[in-house]
Amino acid sequence: MFTNKKFFFFSLFLLLGTLFSINLFAAGSTVIASETESVVTPSIYMLLPFVILLILIATGPLFYKHFWERHYPKISILLGLVTVVYYVYFLKDYHSVIHIFIEYVSFIALLSSLFVASGGILIKIDREATPIANILFLLFGAVIANVIGTTGASMLLIRPFIKMNKDRIKPYHIIFFIFLVSNVGGALTPIGDPPLFIGFLRGVPFLWVIENVWYIWIPTLLIILLVFYIIDKNNHSKLETTEAVEYSGKIEFKGVKNLIYLVVIIVAVFIDPGIMSWVPSLKPLPFGIREIIMFGVVFLSYNKAHPDILKANEFDFEPIKEVAYLFVGIFLTMIPALQLIAIFSQQNHDMLHATSFYWATGILSSALDNTPTYLNFLSAAMGKFYLDVNVKSQVIEFIFKDDIFLRAISVSAVFFGAMTYIGNGPNFMVKSISERAGIEMPSFFAYLIKYAIPILIPIYTIIWLIYFS
Amino acid sequence: MDKISEIIKLKKNGLFYYNRIILPFEGYLLKVIIDDEIITDFSTTSKYAYVKEEDGFMNIYFKEFKNLSEIISKYEAIKIVIVEKGKDIFNMKNHRKLALYLEENHVLKIEATDDDILFIE
Repeated sequence: MFTNKKFFFFSLFLLLGTLFSINLFAAGSTVIASETESVVTPSIYMLLPFVILLILIATGPLFYKHFWERHYPKISILLGLVTVVYYVYFLKDYHSVIHIFIEYVSFIALLSSLFVASGGILIKIDREATPIANILFLLFGAVIANVIGTTGASMLLIRPFIKMNKDRIKPYHIIFFIFLVSNVGGALTPIGDPPLFIGFLRGVPFLWVIENVWYIWIPTLLIILLVFYIIDKNNHSKLETTEAVEYSGKIEFKGVKNLIYLVVIIVAVFIDPGIMSWVPSLKPLPFGIREIIMFGVVFLSYNKAHPDILKANEFDFEPIKEVAYLFVGIFLTMIPALQLIAIFSQQNHDMLHATSFYWATGILSSALDNTPTYLNFLSAAMGKFYLDVNVKSQVIEFIFKDDIFLRAISVSAVFFGAMTYIGNGPNFMVKSISERAGIEMPSFFAYLIKYAIPILIPIYTIIWLIYFS
Repeated sequence: MDKISEIIKLKKNGLFYYNRIILPFEGYLLKVIIDDEIITDFSTTSKYAYVKEEDGFMNIYFKEFKNLSEIISKYEAIKIVIVEKGKDIFNMKNHRKLALYLEENHVLKIEATDDDILFIE
């Protein structure tokens, strides 16, 4: 039997070997999928690995936790390899596989660098957690999520938020943190949330999101904060009868040098030959200068971090390892889904409107991860206009045609990621950190039924009525 | 000085072997946080943990984990709330919050949790 580590290296070797060999033999051809070749329609049965993987991701941590924890890397890689073998040996379409793998490397480079760099920072706030102080904290978290990502902001701020509220912490504190900092907050920039970063990698201009989403972001954020304020004020008023605690009001910040690493990551996002022409391309390697810088940050920020800070943050690579393993499977198995959905929308473009994109992206982002969902529906929306999501120039052409579709998809992919623990990567990390701190969090269904549906769905319905109906 | 305070002051260690930890004192266990599991059921039928007291030390067996060193990484701790044997369990001041770190050669480092460690009882 393979151990997970051996299996990982064996599979990685097999995958990289396959990708590199076909890439080298395909001398002179571009690694960007479909720009030079027409895509062969995959069999509908090839959706199965994607569907199976997503079902397992949704049900594994809930119903067969220990089996899932032991075997998810093998399952994810095996399902990914099924798709790779199908594309390379049956469809002879290696461009699609290479293209998605390059995207995966970029995606993991960003997430892991933000995760590790923010794990070396410790913030201590010795202030009373009044409802107003909590609101300001969550607002700050929502804004900063656009600079260091929802993953970075969640990792950085969840511990101080729990500590600040330690005398009256309740699950709703964590849940609103997930709503605002881990999801809705990050809707303004491609660094904010992984789906938007994938959009950026596909050709959506960096500033397009903030220019087109801010007027939806502000009211959504304010309404959720208002609901939080009402609940938190009620909770806080019950506490006033107990003994008074003195606070120094100090905010302590340790690990400042890791802020520099965060700045390096943000700058590195733009170091791409497609954005800056002077940046050399490292083709046929499946990464560029940007990814080298980001992985360099992972190495440096971890090795140079103060052990006391890592200990205080109970730093562990497991959460990012989980994301890396699962997403290699998701990225590979979603290739046929992307292509089939684009073909479907080309054939049924008359019945697809902003409303269908808003709700379909939203519902699927709630139950599945929002990154592949975003890409699937971007592909579908572009398919309406006979455009290919794999071609950057066509993504830009699509935005100029009618950007309401991209706006609907971007907003709902990010916003609805807050609907469940599995909707967005940081949700589970925040839940896990809170449980490690001793807070009993609601189950998957209690989160959905007691919090997400009654609070978020009415707000998202208002957003739909105003902007997309 | 009580036994737990003395052990922390003298930096005495416990031990761990696979899914078993051995603490060099006896006490009433109230809560354990291991990985992201919060365990409060220590009854004989508990599917999570089994506590066995010996003369002068106590064992905790984690039934859901085969090998703790595969679960708990370098900077992570097993966190426990415990009351030393013989002390009043209903007096919250007797509730001790401890962080247990797995070290080399089966050594279990025992520390009182400070403000930096997140631990809500």
